[in-house]
This record gives sequence, C-alpha cells and structure tokens, in this order.
Amino acid sequence: MSQNVLIVDDSATIRQMIKKTMGIAGLDVGDIYEASNGIEALAQLHDHCVAVMVVDINMPTMNGIQLLTRMKENERLKDIPIVIASTEGSQKRIDQMADFGAFGYVRKPFQPEQLRDVLQPLLGVTDDSGSKDSDANNDLF
Amino acid sequence: MIQDQKTATLTTIFSEVLADLAFMFNDEEADYGVSSADVWLETEISYHGAQSGTLCLWCTRTFSVQLAANLLGVDPHESYAEEQGNDAVKEFMNIVCGQFITAIHGTGAVFDLTIPTLTELPETPRFPQEHGSHFSTVYVEGQRLCLRYKPGPGSE
Repeated sequence: MSQNVLIVDDSATIRQMIKKTMGIAGLDVGDIYEASNGIEALAQLHDHCVAVMVVDINMPTMNGIQLLTRMKENERLKDIPIVIASTEGSQKRIDQMADFGAFGYVRKPFQPEQLRDVLQPLLGVTDDSGSKDSDANNDLF
Repeated sequence: MIQDQKTATLTTIFSEVLADLAFMFNDEEADYGVSSADVWLETEISYHGAQSGTLCLWCTRTFSVQLAANLLGVDPHESYAEEQGNDAVKEFMNIVCGQFITAIHGTGAVFDLTIPTLTELPETPRFPQEHGSHFSTVYVEGQRLCLRYKPGPGSE
C-alpha cells in the first residue's frame, strides 16, 4: 500500500524538487503533504496520517531540531521515520539528529539517487524489480 | 587559511553547488560587464557559533529565474520559474553557506545559520569591497555574479 509523505522545508523549490525526485525514482508514495516549518508540520500531522517525513533543519518559526524534539515527546508522532535533508555538515549535529531518532540523512545538494536510496527502505518502489524489504538502511548517517 | 585561499574556496564551492544543484557552470574565461538593464538582487546569510561570518550574493533577476527553472526542470519563461526565483536564490545561498562553513571550519563544530534574506536593489550595485572581506566574481550563462564572505568579529 502506498504511504503518505510529509516534506518539511522552508523552500518551495526544494519541496518541489523532492516531490519530483520521489516520482522519478519510482518510490511507492501516496499523498504528499508539505510544510514550510515545524509549526506547519505539526498541523499537517494533526490532520493527516503520515508514514515518512523529509525534514530540513534550518527553517524559520520552528526549525527541524525543535520539530524532532516536539515529536519525540508525543506518543502518536515519536515513531514516524524521519529523513533529514539539510545543508548541515557538522558531525556533532548529524549525530544529534540520529540520537533524536532520525532514520537517515542526505546533505544538500543531493543527487536524486541519494534521496532514493535513503527513502526506498521506508517506502518501497512501485516497480516490481524493487523490494520494500531492502536492507539498504545501513550507514544512512 | 590565508585570504586568497578563502576566496578560492568560496569560488570553488559556489561553482560546485551551482553545477551539482542546477547544472549551471562558471565560465572562468568570461568577463561580462555589470548589466544595468536588469533588476539586481542582494541575498545574505550569516552563521554563528565558535566563529561567525556572513555571505552575500549579488545577482540579477534573470539569473534567479534561470536558477529556479533549472532546479524545477521547467522553462525559464514559465510563470512558475519567475515566481520561485527569489526562493531558489535563497535556498542556493543556504546550501553554499553550509558547504563553505564545513570547508573552512571543518565538521567538528556546530554552527547555526540564519534564514537567508533577499533584497531587490533600486539600482545597479557597486559591489562594496570592505577591508577584511573576501570577494569573488563569477560568470554564469552570460550573467555576472558577485559573492562576498565577511568574517564576523574575532573570526578569521
């Protein structure tokens, strides 16, 4: 069954690029919701059931770290897999995101294949040649 | 890192991000003049932590729309590309800043980036080269772009 995705990034251009990449990669995606900051993301999560999130760190109003912290405190949201898509290069901060339970990390600018590789284990592919049971989630940080 | 190295690093990262993200390339042989027939945009982003600094890009509206079109995979004449031009430049500078910080300060420290700001300039800029700042000019698809890195107080 196709899974819903929430993209959280303050850049509409990046959100559009991620949506396009997921389509080109043949990922098995249902509805794609968007938010431009953490507050909007929490509102979307209140209204919709989401299986996977792609989250930027540097955003106005509520950034990605604050969003993950809030989600961690919420029983309904704490287990949603999150992929960080950020320009962040600090290993300390990347480790911090992993400690918060982030599933994977792609650094901007990323190639479509990099995003596909980190999302595929979570979403699967629509193509029969792919597998939802892929073990490609190793070394995603 | 000495000043010339920082300027070279800035130019290299700018060119690499532009190529990787938008398939646009720095023409190192070119030497276009400053277009006064176009609207100029000034985009600024800063970072703070153990050290601090500010990056500023001056580019034309034409460049911003072309950048958005390439990122989105649409024709630059489409209204959507024109609408997203400012957003594309701000995100581009966010990425350049993140890559630049890692290149000059390493991956050990944590830095907080500001949200990029973009201003439409009322006239063609004069590209102020302040003492202690690092200034780079690049030429992309017929457009002249100027980039400045200014270390924060106490930073090198």
